[in-house]
Amino acid sequence: MSEEILAPLSGKIVAINMEIGASVEEDDEAVIIEAMKMETPIYVPCDGTVKEIKVKVGDSVEEDDVIAVIE
Amino acid sequence: MRPYFEKMTSFGKELKKGAIKRTEENVQAFIEAEKEIDAAVDKVKNAGFSTEKINARGQMTVWQRLEYLVDEGTWRPLHTLYNPADNVEGTTNVIDGLGKISGKWAVIIGFDNKVMAGAWLAGQSDNILRVTDLAKRLNLPLVWLVNCSGAKLPEQETFYANRRGAGAPFFRHAELEQAGIPILAAIYGTNPAGGGYQSISPTILFAHEKCNIAVGGAGIVSGMAPQGGFTTQMAEDLVVKAKENRAKPPGSVKTHYDATGFFRYVYEEEQGVLDGLKDYMKDMPAYNPKFFRVAEPKAPAFPQEDIMRLLPMEPKKVYDFDEILARLVDGGEHSEFRPGYGPEVYTGLCKVDGFLVACIGNRQGYLGKGYPEYADYPGIGSKLYRQGLIKMNEFVTLCGRDRIPVIWFQDTSGIDVGDIAEKAELLGLGQSLIYSIQQTDIPMMLAILRKGSAAAHYVMGGPQANRHNAFTIGTAATEIYVMHGETAAVATYARRLVKEKEAGNDLQPVVDKMNELAQKYHDTSRPLFCAKTGLVDEIVKLADLRKYMEAFAGSAYQNPKSICPQHQMILPRIIKG
Repeated sequence: MSEEILAPLSGKIVAINMEIGASVEEDDEAVIIEAMKMETPIYVPCDGTVKEIKVKVGDSVEEDDVIAVIE
Repeated sequence: MRPYFEKMTSFGKELKKGAIKRTEENVQAFIEAEKEIDAAVDKVKNAGFSTEKINARGQMTVWQRLEYLVDEGTWRPLHTLYNPADNVEGTTNVIDGLGKISGKWAVIIGFDNKVMAGAWLAGQSDNILRVTDLAKRLNLPLVWLVNCSGAKLPEQETFYANRRGAGAPFFRHAELEQAGIPILAAIYGTNPAGGGYQSISPTILFAHEKCNIAVGGAGIVSGMAPQGGFTTQMAEDLVVKAKENRAKPPGSVKTHYDATGFFRYVYEEEQGVLDGLKDYMKDMPAYNPKFFRVAEPKAPAFPQEDIMRLLPMEPKKVYDFDEILARLVDGGEHSEFRPGYGPEVYTGLCKVDGFLVACIGNRQGYLGKGYPEYADYPGIGSKLYRQGLIKMNEFVTLCGRDRIPVIWFQDTSGIDVGDIAEKAELLGLGQSLIYSIQQTDIPMMLAILRKGSAAAHYVMGGPQANRHNAFTIGTAATEIYVMHGETAAVATYARRLVKEKEAGNDLQPVVDKMNELAQKYHDTSRPLFCAKTGLVDEIVKLADLRKYMEAFAGSAYQNPKSICPQHQMILPRIIKG
């Protein structure tokens, strides 16, 4: 079973704090999106392994874009 | 009203492992920043002569007097780093704060007798006026530890005269007394001239047997009419006169206890004077806390140490304000006012030490789709929008009606700007909030968790609300400025850049100026600067935030001038619906 991490707002990815294949726990910081001069951390929604990261630092994302997939 | 307050809605949640892991660096950053504040405080505490030297003269220092006088664990210092005139002594030379004496809250202030025997220095009267304002706002007794050698004469032009100069506190003492607020004064040492008025202006004078108070001290009495200069012979005469007067200074206990009776009590021992104050404080007007408590006091539901993990030092990082609040109020319980409206601001009723308080704070982060409702751009917390401003107006007005003291928490970057925001009436709603605050007559305190910026710093119960803001505290993460330094640099130099560019000139000199300005903003917005210049009344450790909230709530409910019976409060009913 996999779960997607979605961007809750549009902005720029300024940090990615996980790697593909790494184990993650619920509430780990996945990425940071900068928007409106503020950095919004996006958290991992469940324990699991990072299956896919669909963004890189500097990318612009829109609201509801898939950032990563946790398996 | 027990069903409303005994067990309110729980909020907040325990920190998860991931959060603890990723916030370790933040904790270390706070520890380092708080160490820097501690070092500055230690410098003030060690100003002047050593404790040993003062003790060798048979005197206690002001710090020792405070320690003996104040109930253990209740001292909440204020203005410790306040030094607006940048005195070389590093202090305004008065030490003050809130504390309990014999179980009752009082505003307490004393001259630092280690520094020039408690002389008047520049900025001191401003410090004292903050203290008298505090006593007035909270309707608390003012307790003085007088030990004042009078003006530091070589610098008299910096503080003696002027509208808020060294004489103003004497008028303010009269004002407090006329308002029914007693001022108790323990008097030590030699208190000539200004020191004399510091001694005589309080309500009841408790004197140490070796003290003296006088219109003019030995120095002036030894003097003479100006004769256009000095000669050696005149100096010889002065030596003789000064020796006589020093041996027998004017205004001793013999004069002001035996003859005038100004001193109500005289004590042989230094501690005896303080025992006299303690004894008197037992009889000061104060309600038993049970009169106003809405529930039994409870500790917060989660560790307060978590706040170091929840509040990012980095100003750009967002966080969950509600989680911080849950760690500051009794039992992690609250009743939130209009939770679905104006999401950028928290408004709700909470308990602190069993007393009902109203809390207002900026929320952070993305505010969700479609908000603000009047704009096509996303809303982000720390900024104020139409709904948040309307909600705060309503909440403050209802708190005034129900006589509920307000605790504000600021971390704000300002009010939404632009023509769309203007059409949404934000300018008018900001000023409406000022009107709403001014319309009430309830004490307020403010904690600036991180940013205090733009007009939002004023409208959210800022210290500019002179009649309401009892005191303002900051943290090691506090920064206060009209706008961010880089924003200010752009606002100042954007046109200049265009001109230089059009003229074909090098932009670097302007860029250097922009960086200079941004750096200046940084330097003049940090916690130590804020404390020194009085933008906050004290920088407080995160672990001590609740202690100040307890002092505020306990003080506000100790002897309020106006009461709303709990069963006649309307705000809890409006929240319940």
